Amino acid sequence: MGRNVAIKRYRPILGARTLDLFEPVEERRLVVLDLLGTTWIFRASELDYPGDAGVGRRVREAIFVNWEVNERRPVTFVRGRRTYHVDSIVQSWAVEYAWWDPVQHISRRCWRVLTREGGPYDLAFDRLNGRWLLLGIQD
Amino acid sequence: MHLHTHSTFSFGDGAANIEEIITRCVELGMEAVALTDHQGLYGALRFYKAALKAGVHPVIGAEIVLATAGLDAKEGTRAAREPLTLPASVGFGRAAGIGFHLTLLAENLTGYRNLCRLISRTHIRSAETSSVVSLEDLAECSEGLVGLSGCPNGEVGSAVLAGSLARARAALMRLADCFKPGSFYIELMNLLTPESPRYIASLASLAESCGLPTVASNNVHYVNPEDYRIHDLLAAASAGMGLPGPYRRPNAELWLKPATEMRRMFASLPQACDATLEIAERCDLDLGLGSFHFPSADIPSGETPYSVLSKAAWHGLEKRYRPVSPAAFARLQHELGIIDELGFSDYFLVVKEIVDYARGKGIRCSGRGSAGDSIVSYVLGMSDADPIEHELLFERFLNPARRQMPDIDIDFDSTRRDEVVDFIYQRFGSGHVAMVATVNTMTARSAVRTVARAFGYPIGEVNALSRHLPWASASRLREVLETYPECASHPLKEERHETLVELAERLDACPMHLGTHLGGFIITREPVDTWTPLQWAAKGVVVSQYDKDDIEALGLVKMDILGLRMHSAITETLHLARSRVGKEAVPEPFDLTPDDQQVYDTIARADTVGVFQLESSGQRNLNTRLRARCFEDIIAAISLFRPGPLEAEMIAPFIRRRHGLEDVSVPHPAMAESLSDSYGVIVYQEQVLLVAQAVAGFDLAEADSLRRAMTRGRSRADMSRIRAYFLERAIERGVDPEVAEEVFRQLKGFAAYGFNKAHAACFAKISYASAWLRTYFPAEFAAAILNNQPMGFYTPRLVANDARRHGIDLLSPHVNTSAIRYTVREDGRAILVGLRDVYAMPSRLLDTIEAERKIRPFRDLADFLRRTNAEPAPAESLISIGALDGLGITEGGRPPTRDELLALLPGIKTAIAREESINDDVLALVPAPTRPAEDLSHVSGWSPARRLSAELELLGLSLTCHPLDIAEEDLLDRGITFAEQLPGMPDRSRVLVCGVRERAQTPRTRSGRRTCFLTLEDSSGLLDVVVFEDSLRRAGEAIVKHRCYLVEGRLQNNAEQGTAIIAEDIRPYVVRSSSGAPVRLRRGVPSGPMGPSLGGAGAPEEDS
Repeated sequence: MGRNVAIKRYRPILGARTLDLFEPVEERRLVVLDLLGTTWIFRASELDYPGDAGVGRRVREAIFVNWEVNERRPVTFVRGRRTYHVDSIVQSWAVEYAWWDPVQHISRRCWRVLTREGGPYDLAFDRLNGRWLLLGIQD
Repeated sequence: MHLHTHSTFSFGDGAANIEEIITRCVELGMEAVALTDHQGLYGALRFYKAALKAGVHPVIGAEIVLATAGLDAKEGTRAAREPLTLPASVGFGRAAGIGFHLTLLAENLTGYRNLCRLISRTHIRSAETSSVVSLEDLAECSEGLVGLSGCPNGEVGSAVLAGSLARARAALMRLADCFKPGSFYIELMNLLTPESPRYIASLASLAESCGLPTVASNNVHYVNPEDYRIHDLLAAASAGMGLPGPYRRPNAELWLKPATEMRRMFASLPQACDATLEIAERCDLDLGLGSFHFPSADIPSGETPYSVLSKAAWHGLEKRYRPVSPAAFARLQHELGIIDELGFSDYFLVVKEIVDYARGKGIRCSGRGSAGDSIVSYVLGMSDADPIEHELLFERFLNPARRQMPDIDIDFDSTRRDEVVDFIYQRFGSGHVAMVATVNTMTARSAVRTVARAFGYPIGEVNALSRHLPWASASRLREVLETYPECASHPLKEERHETLVELAERLDACPMHLGTHLGGFIITREPVDTWTPLQWAAKGVVVSQYDKDDIEALGLVKMDILGLRMHSAITETLHLARSRVGKEAVPEPFDLTPDDQQVYDTIARADTVGVFQLESSGQRNLNTRLRARCFEDIIAAISLFRPGPLEAEMIAPFIRRRHGLEDVSVPHPAMAESLSDSYGVIVYQEQVLLVAQAVAGFDLAEADSLRRAMTRGRSRADMSRIRAYFLERAIERGVDPEVAEEVFRQLKGFAAYGFNKAHAACFAKISYASAWLRTYFPAEFAAAILNNQPMGFYTPRLVANDARRHGIDLLSPHVNTSAIRYTVREDGRAILVGLRDVYAMPSRLLDTIEAERKIRPFRDLADFLRRTNAEPAPAESLISIGALDGLGITEGGRPPTRDELLALLPGIKTAIAREESINDDVLALVPAPTRPAEDLSHVSGWSPARRLSAELELLGLSLTCHPLDIAEEDLLDRGITFAEQLPGMPDRSRVLVCGVRERAQTPRTRSGRRTCFLTLEDSSGLLDVVVFEDSLRRAGEAIVKHRCYLVEGRLQNNAEQGTAIIAEDIRPYVVRSSSGAPVRLRRGVPSGPMGPSLGGAGAPEEDS
């Protein structure tokens, strides 16, 4: 399975509940250690160059995301004709950059997700135009 | 609860206004919140008071900068930043790039005092070293403090982010050892960066392994998510950088998040959120606001503060009142009783000690403010106005019904104020004295500059955008731009600056930096750093981090040791006069009975340039209308020309009634007696008390409470309650209900606008003394005023011109005759200008000139340069203003002209530098060809216009003539009326005048409309011009951008309103010499290094 075996093997649903990575369940410790040890904990958008970076790919595709209002998380997203089902949120972060410059201004909320179909994927909601983007793929 | 919150008092690293923090906490239902500004408690007292008022539990803390804890002693000798790379901004201020952040919270009063001590020790250890707390100091001062490991810029956080868990663990253990068990927490922040999960997981894991509790925080730097822009702006501006500033924050998540949001972000670590509640609960600090903490007076054994005060007061009574009147006796007894009851004896004794020291050393001083209402102040020599004679009421100063900190402000001769300050430090100990801070906040102009600089605009554009903005709050920027005439074509109105204006408005009142109060000192019994954090001020003095309101809230004594230049001027006038006419011929003016009608004539004809409090244009106008004849009139004049009475339009009825143009009518006879001094108009605050006493039978304490209630933030319900109580009491005394209602209406209308009579009476003593000196020793008085600049209302140019108009010659400075300061010559008929005011004169050169001249006079330029070693710039200034005129001789048998001297200067300097022989053969040097002399009749060879330009540019004075004299022919052709002609012209005449701007004021008016009061000067005197809003709209820009104007308007010249010109049209006027060159009208900096050909002295500016 290559890199990040624990993460890929990780089943983030326990019963009907989505689990959190920080919960001190023994099997999740491996995932945490994997996360701590990986070199890929950075934003896909920060990769030096687009395309395959060896550990992941930086893309910039408009996608459709099904948003769960109560849990405030993406549930599925559609890329091309395929629907991806989000199993777990690995992490989320926010980006606010160059607000004083209309050309360079970036304002995003990002989610790194694991899906039933694989992952992780970096999804971003662009707050400036209200659109969803797929920014990175680690698979 | 948020336990890590920065406000705007983090000076550049916080955009959260304290009131906004509290309001938001109330909205979110947060019961507690902590304030943890960088390196100090600057906003802590405001926060504490505001939180208590809003029902929020305040936790006071700070984010300090700490030396490394995670390296052992051997490694610790290396620079702390070596192992971890931190941005320079991490250390904040003087600790930049050196230490690590740590959050401290005060658990109780011990913790608060330790926090103050720790911060003070760190800041004032030395002005040069960085403000970094050592581990030893932290351990020593940690009692009563809760420590949080800090943000990612803390040592633990930095180590985790750098992947050095061992370093983080070592730092944690050592930090935890500084606190008592259970008082140190690992601070977890989920700042929503890509590193956050790893950061939190690592810290949580460390906490578990080290057995330390965790606590969640959000490093709050602004209240609302959208405020991140303000935070970025402030950070960039304070670092002197453009955006994105020093921190380069990756996102905008440092806002005050609701508890639900915080719990969601720490869903797997609920104990970290729970810990915020535990900590908030254990931090139960009570600062005991409302109690007073006086410094200790010097009390002999067997005595008490009261007994010492009482003896001194009775002794003083005998000296002040000969014979002692029953009224004075009873009054002193009454006041001493209240002072004892309130426990203020120590305070009075401390002030007395300081005043006694000053008087003992011959340092002129006088009290001001409501302290003048007290006979105790008077008999102890703290004030000079007799409270019985002037009907001043003690209860206005100290109201026994409201135990408030007394405030006695003393003005000292400003040239000797430092001696008094030294005494205070010696007497009370430097550890018990500190200066009070002021917080400098942003106005429209500074806010615009802040945003423009953060946007990276070039400095020229920053200046252009902020220039000509009036003094207004930033929140009114848009309104000012839209409505103020002087902003009619302001560049900020361009559409591209819309964002700049919007952001600048939001910076309104944002603290910029700490300043030092002009004269406020805290004196404490316990070490001052147990009450307030201290730090070095830019002035090089130790200053509290609290301002005067904070100090008052803490119950500490703040004494205003103010420097008053008028005291210095009076002392110097006496010295100059006595050295001319003998000591016996010049009495001490403060000892004179104020009944000299010549002095009152001086005041009544508004001949008051330089006279304390009576010289401004508005005040001079009032002087002519009031026509003062006695001391009470001076008190009235000072009181009437104040914002309150002006806003309440008290002057007109006062003047009309005084001159019998209107009947004096009051609703109740008892009121007539109370208001007899002011013709039935309520001018003084003390009169409100007297009326309430006379009509409703209030005692004076009750009456003062009524006055205060009417003055401050009265609600409709409050006022209704006060009214009912007043009416009830008045009607009980048999006052007709309608009459009582009318009295109350008048009290309500004027209570908020009245002026403190005691303050006016104290000032009136100085006014009379200065008017007396001006009347009898005008040359000495003018010289003293010029020697003590900056002071008063007018520029030195106008003071000198005024002296000349009074027949006093102004003699040009000369290296062979002038002293450093202005001196009086020709038996009081001339003033010789001192050399000190000449542009670019170093003090060393001044001393050398004086010393060399005592040996022998200077013969010529070379002799002067050789003996003084003057640098080219001051030498050029001296030549240009004529200080070397007439020295030396040319081949033509005449002294060299200024052009020739300036041309010779470089050659002589070079020769001296080469150590060539430069003696009497100086003129063997052939000067470079110069332009022909313009005016052969004058030794300088310069035309009057050129001499005048040089004087105005290099000296700030017009000695040759008034600038408008140059243009007299043109002005006469235009049909100008001169100032001296105006009093003889009919009221409502149309006039055209021309004058150089001296002052322009736009005081607030009751209607809210803007009126500009211009003080102009022509060669014959002062012109007072009133520019109402309509005219101001047309002429505002011309007024701001030019210095000299032609004013067309209607003359107002009658006894009731005085003399002024109501402007209808104002046009700029450029004064030109006969050659057509414009003449400079203000002091400036010469642009050329040497010689007139390079645009130095004498080169006029292009415009007026």
